[in-house]
Amino acid sequence: MSTPETPAPTSSSPGFMEKNYFLLRRLHSLTGIVPIGVFLIAHLTTNSSLLWGKWGLRSEGADETIISGGVHYFWKEVQWINNQIPHLLLIEIVLWVSIAFHSILGVYYARTGKANTARYAYQSNWRYSLQRITGYIAIFYIFYHVATLRWGWEFLIPGDAKWSADYAASTLAAALRGSNTDFTAMGVVTSLFYFVGITASVYHFANGLWTAAITWGLTVSAPAQRRWGYVCAMVGVGLMGMAWMSLAGALITPPNEMREVEQRLLDKQKVKLPPQPGTIESRAEESLPMTTVSNQGVSSGQ
Amino acid sequence: MISTFTNTDANSPLAAELAQRMANRKMAKEGRTIIFRIKRCDGPGKPSRWEDFKVPVPKNANVISCLQYIAANPVTAQGQQSTPVVWDSGCLEEVCGACTMVINGKVRQSCSCLIDDYAPGEGDVMTLEPMSKFPVIRDLWVDRERVFHNLKRVKAWVPIDGTYYLGGGPKESPQKQETRYKLSECMSCGCCLEACPQFNLEENKNEWDSAFIGAHAISQARLFNEHETGKQLKDDRLDVLMGPGGVNDCGNAQNCVKVCPKHIPLTESIAAIGRAVTVRAFTRFFKD
Repeated sequence: MSTPETPAPTSSSPGFMEKNYFLLRRLHSLTGIVPIGVFLIAHLTTNSSLLWGKWGLRSEGADETIISGGVHYFWKEVQWINNQIPHLLLIEIVLWVSIAFHSILGVYYARTGKANTARYAYQSNWRYSLQRITGYIAIFYIFYHVATLRWGWEFLIPGDAKWSADYAASTLAAALRGSNTDFTAMGVVTSLFYFVGITASVYHFANGLWTAAITWGLTVSAPAQRRWGYVCAMVGVGLMGMAWMSLAGALITPPNEMREVEQRLLDKQKVKLPPQPGTIESRAEESLPMTTVSNQGVSSGQ
Repeated sequence: MISTFTNTDANSPLAAELAQRMANRKMAKEGRTIIFRIKRCDGPGKPSRWEDFKVPVPKNANVISCLQYIAANPVTAQGQQSTPVVWDSGCLEEVCGACTMVINGKVRQSCSCLIDDYAPGEGDVMTLEPMSKFPVIRDLWVDRERVFHNLKRVKAWVPIDGTYYLGGGPKESPQKQETRYKLSECMSCGCCLEACPQFNLEENKNEWDSAFIGAHAISQARLFNEHETGKQLKDDRLDVLMGPGGVNDCGNAQNCVKVCPKHIPLTESIAAIGRAVTVRAFTRFFKD
């Protein structure tokens, strides 16, 4: 059926944002959970191992203290992530792009609202405002965190720490403390910023998980929303515990003490004989830059 | 699908508010005089100012009866001659929504607002302000046109107009009827919009179609989508609600459901429409 009188296109034809409004809104919601939220869970699990790693080592950690076992386990995890995970850079780029997308649209959307908790001090209204405030904080925090510890923007780190995967715990601790031994004033500021940043990020994820269920229409009735709220609160409390454990693990031990543990592990790795060809271990080790160094050391006659 | 919304959680601020009102009502003094602090404005675009009025409160007085007293005695508490305060009202029994205003900082209907609940003592102050999300016409009277404009955006009606008799409509199940009855109580008063951090004053009418539509229109879209004849326009409604200013603009502050004088489960409607547009999006992408 043709319409004989199609109105002439108006000058204000819808732009990219308007045409893809729904898609962008839902992608914004989705990226918060996958990949960002999923990564957050994995990231906090790894980092909190600074405190629970001794038990993660099982029999290997029998002679270790909680501190050295934590550093040991964390070191193994970081080695695995940096040397074993396939196409790590691609995963990272997907994450960075997702975070940038979620941040830019998030700011754009947040600016459409006007907080009114002063008049309507309901808990849900506070959560609404906090979701936006924690979002802004998380943008600054995550950018600083990634730029300093991943992209090597060391001029933003107090002291002269430079993060490396081989000395992951000690260089992280040094970046937080501002020195390899005691806290400097800027180190205290950095550590506090980390505390605020991780707390905001975890809240933002847990609350976002709750609102996403409404956005997508998963939870419809008020009791369903309440039930899902309890689940999200538990997820939030659990992740908050892990986030604070991660930070505590990085702050309670001086970097130089951590470095001793890491050096011991690196030295041990160097003297380890090259594995038999064809075994699973050898294939895994082939991709390890670390062991390339050790292989050269051991089989220097090649 | 629908659940009866209750404000009776012992710890909720709403329960605390209600308990405070009940306590005030019991201790209200007879023959007292209270102060009305009213935000006044002489016309669109004119500046606002505050004026105080002393009003003797008879038993069972409400805000409207006090405004009538001020209209008859437009003298401020400082003794200066002023003008009668203008406000809008209709039914005087909380079913038309016309007299909605901001009382002591929160939006509600002034006709059902009893003075005993808010100002039980001699010299107590009550503040009256016009709703802030709509253009002020004068004093407490605002132009709520955008409320109705947004209902038109989602075609909040049942399409039965025609040139011949269409016969009886399809059968409605009692369960759906029960769901829809609650939704149908909406009186388009604007409380949900006034309390919403995502719905803000927009004087430029050209922006209305892309600004947030508000909880009331989303809930009315659900009402008519659930209606056996009304659902003929379901896709039209959902397509609008998927676009700019639609259901995605909701920020889940959930103030709407707390201030709704009819206790309409607005947040459930928002989630139900969220679900419907999710399905609609997949349908549009893979099927249509």
